[in-house]
Amino acid sequence: MIFSFFGKLSEWIKRAWPLIPATLYLSGFQIVVFVYLGTLSLSDQARNIDFPSIQPIVELFSDKYFRQALLNTFLFTLVGTPLELLSGLFLALLLYQSFFLRGFIRSIFLIPLAIPALVTAMLLYILFDYPGGHINHLLIGNYPPLPAILDQPINWRGSAFFAMGISLLGKVWRDMPISMLILLAGLNSIDPELFDAAKTMGASLRKRIFSIMLPLIIPAISTVLLLRTVEMWKEFIFPYILAGRYRLLGTLIDFYYYDVGNSHKAAAVAMIMVLCILVSTFLILRTMDLLQKAAFKR
Amino acid sequence: MAVLMVIVPVYLLVKYSISDIGSINTGGAAIPLWPENPTLRSYAYLFTDHNFYQVILNSVIVAFSTVLLSMIIGVPAAYFLGRYRIPGRRMVLLGIISVRLFPDIVSVIPITEFFIHTGLHQTFTGVILSHTLLALPYVIFIGIGAFESIPVDLEQQAWVLGASRYQTFLKILMPLAIPGLAAAAIYTFLLSWDEFIFAYYIVFGRQELFTMTLYLNGIKHAAPQNLLAAISVCLSVPVVLFSFLVQRYMIAGISTGSVK
Repeated sequence: MIFSFFGKLSEWIKRAWPLIPATLYLSGFQIVVFVYLGTLSLSDQARNIDFPSIQPIVELFSDKYFRQALLNTFLFTLVGTPLELLSGLFLALLLYQSFFLRGFIRSIFLIPLAIPALVTAMLLYILFDYPGGHINHLLIGNYPPLPAILDQPINWRGSAFFAMGISLLGKVWRDMPISMLILLAGLNSIDPELFDAAKTMGASLRKRIFSIMLPLIIPAISTVLLLRTVEMWKEFIFPYILAGRYRLLGTLIDFYYYDVGNSHKAAAVAMIMVLCILVSTFLILRTMDLLQKAAFKR
Repeated sequence: MAVLMVIVPVYLLVKYSISDIGSINTGGAAIPLWPENPTLRSYAYLFTDHNFYQVILNSVIVAFSTVLLSMIIGVPAAYFLGRYRIPGRRMVLLGIISVRLFPDIVSVIPITEFFIHTGLHQTFTGVILSHTLLALPYVIFIGIGAFESIPVDLEQQAWVLGASRYQTFLKILMPLAIPGLAAAAIYTFLLSWDEFIFAYYIVFGRQELFTMTLYLNGIKHAAPQNLLAAISVCLSVPVVLFSFLVQRYMIAGISTGSVK
């Protein structure tokens, strides 16, 4: 029996050899990631906690840096995901109403995606500089006829609220095209005759949008929500450049690994980030499923 | 208005890169909205700086090696998956894509620790291996598309005429798949060129190995804004240009959910 197993195996290898290097490479690294992440996060050499113990992860919840970062990331995701959906929907609807130069405008809308995230972050770093960035100059009324809104320039990167805000701005600006493309694909798959039929039967524009278009692009919307939520939870580069000591989970991992030099703690935070992503993915899938059922029941 | 929302930031970046220092440190006066004394001094400074050439060279070495390695590993896999219907194909594809669903900032910690143990930390090899890990799913997915679009009849005719499997692959399939594979190669190059997280962790402060992104990050507190903007422009130009070349493939990738 063993011989026949090896016989089959060698037969399969002969046929499928082109697949083998890639499979080994990817699964090899996957194993490395899982093994190291597991052993690091569930033990702590310095404090003689042997693998496996959930103590390092449980202890994180009484760590003030961690609690703050978890809350920040949760809010970041909660505000950012809908923003990305709405900005993507806005651009997709603009392109959907076909007009001339459509291909050209679409190319322009893709520019943010083509610019490296680090560069976008650096640009915001310059624009929101304190006291002398463009944005501060704009708000204190240095560009007449635009009115002065503030007396004093704001130290954007020095305040938790604004630092998170500009990180979010950069993230949403850069990712708009991705949501736009997914939603546009969803819109293009709707038969235009549906709209015409509804129009002939006297449905108002509002009715056509809310009763026909939105229910039909629910699959596209749920794809956007799913991908964007994951992206929000794992965001690193914008808060890293723009928010400094106001941390998200991503920058907290960096803080523990680089600044504190504690790889166990960094891995434990990473583990929790993965859990957050899994839980929110599950919740979104369930909600969208229910929503779709409700939409078509009506 | 939506177009302005995209164009204005790009304009401002370019404007900063050609501003003289007087239009940036204005001492309270308004920062000019268009370059008053346009100058290429920032670029001239960069391109007479020996370090900057080293940084560009480093980025190119890493990116080219990543392209080479991920094509060598990825193209055969793409050929196989695009040409043969094997049992469990969906599972294999899902496994490949799952690599990309894992957050970079999460997988970078275990991989860095692994490289520290194996002596690959602070080496180009480490950076190249990790960039290949990131690029491989794209190469395989774009490659599958390229091979699937070639009619099977063509291959069978070659066999009937007596060509071997390797001859068919090299003489018939490869030339037809080249545009798609070139897109995958360009995509990989760009991915490696503007990658930050893995390069940052694996190079870990070793300045002679700095790539473009690490260099930009490293001087962000010290350098004047026009220089930061000029480096940013240098970093972006190849990406923007080539992205438009491979736009079609990129859009296909996003629609199937394989691009983040």
